[in-house]
Amino acid sequence: MNTSKVNIKDLKLWYGESEALHGIDIEFSEKRVTALIGPSGCGKSTLLRCLNRMNDRIPGCRIEGQILLDGDDIYAPEVDVVQLRTHVGMVFQKPNPFPKSIYENVAYAPRIHGLAGSGSDMDELVETALRRASIWKEVKDKLHTPGTALSGGQQQRLCIARTIAVQPNVILMDEPCSALDPIATAKIEELIDELKREFTIIMVTHSMQQAARISDQTAFFYMGDLIEFGETGTIFTQPEKQQTEDYITGRFG
Amino acid sequence: MPQHTIKRFDEELDKLKELVLSMGGLVERAIGHAVKSMLDQDEALAKKTIERDKAINALEVQCDEMTRDILVRRQPAAGDLRFIMGIIKVVTDLERMGDLSAGIAEGTLRSLEHPPKEFSNLSTMGKKVQKQVNRTLNAFSRGDTELAMRVIEKDERIDVLYKRMYRELLTYMIEDPRDITASIILSNVAKNLERISDHATNISEMLIYIERGHDIRHVDHEAAAKLLSGEEI
Repeated sequence: MNTSKVNIKDLKLWYGESEALHGIDIEFSEKRVTALIGPSGCGKSTLLRCLNRMNDRIPGCRIEGQILLDGDDIYAPEVDVVQLRTHVGMVFQKPNPFPKSIYENVAYAPRIHGLAGSGSDMDELVETALRRASIWKEVKDKLHTPGTALSGGQQQRLCIARTIAVQPNVILMDEPCSALDPIATAKIEELIDELKREFTIIMVTHSMQQAARISDQTAFFYMGDLIEFGETGTIFTQPEKQQTEDYITGRFG
Repeated sequence: MPQHTIKRFDEELDKLKELVLSMGGLVERAIGHAVKSMLDQDEALAKKTIERDKAINALEVQCDEMTRDILVRRQPAAGDLRFIMGIIKVVTDLERMGDLSAGIAEGTLRSLEHPPKEFSNLSTMGKKVQKQVNRTLNAFSRGDTELAMRVIEKDERIDVLYKRMYRELLTYMIEDPRDITASIILSNVAKNLERISDHATNISEMLIYIERGHDIRHVDHEAAAKLLSGEEI
């Protein structure tokens, strides 16, 4: 039985006068990987960014509808956005480690949120996060070298370690492998498969093969509408909607 | 259905379907020739049928190569994936149908030394099986799931014909032991025809999977019809 982690109800979003999402209803299940797919401009990244309120910073952007995280409205006036982002972490397309040491990249957020007390507690927290992000073995002897000196794939895993260091419930990923080579991509995909035991993962990807490989559920968006949402196996073998079929078989536009 | 953005992919799928249909055409002809060779006791036609099975086998290899190439290059999904999966199965069925037809022609060659006095209802059964194959190929060519369902339903009649023929041949053998060899050959021929019809049914079942996404293998007719009409089973 899948428990709903994030529940989106009739979500509409405008950038100025332009409506980018036209009333989206979707539920993301706990500890499952959901892939959001669709052509550029379909609203998938916009939706992803609503989930940790990154759109708040965009001038002229407003939303209607509800996004519930464990039943609580994340757009309620009393919600502290900084706290929200510890619960809903994000990994971006381009790896973006801070220009600090590997250790500091991971320790930074737990420190400002007061998640570790003594130095040894912090050491343990950093090690655990790096281990869970499958990068510990590669960096354990150079924790105090700059994170930016790592390879692209390692940087992305460092960013994942940084995200999970604050124990989020949900991890958002916006095309996390699009800047990586196939081997680094495979490592991230393997990692996602591990991470779903503990986290709910929602990922935007342009690679249909990637969505098919690693997601449990797939949502197809087109021009601001959710066209179809279902089990990945079904979406990729027997989609219900013709638009989905056309998109995933490469018959679009 | 709109075309693929990569037009070459459409061309490849069309070409593959064309190849499978040519293979089907050869199989259809092989069945007709094989049965005729037996009924007419025509040695030359039997030999020609056996020889022509090589062309069917060659087409199977060619289809498999194309399928492999499409899988590697295009990584098909949804309807395209079902089509490719279907083709892999259909081609195997057609190749087996070719072998079974060659088997009938071999029966003709064996029967020349033991000519049957009567052919029971071989002529009728041959025509009906050919019709089944023709229907399944037409269904495949047009993506006609209704026709495919008819093929599946009619297979039972072929089974009945086979059982009837087998019983009749058994009677001949009991009545006159000199007929045993000829009757065994004929009974094997009938068995081959019955199996050809089973393969035609498999192709129709695969067509329904390709077109509708429902796997109706090992499901009874009634349940299959319900599935196709969208009812839960």
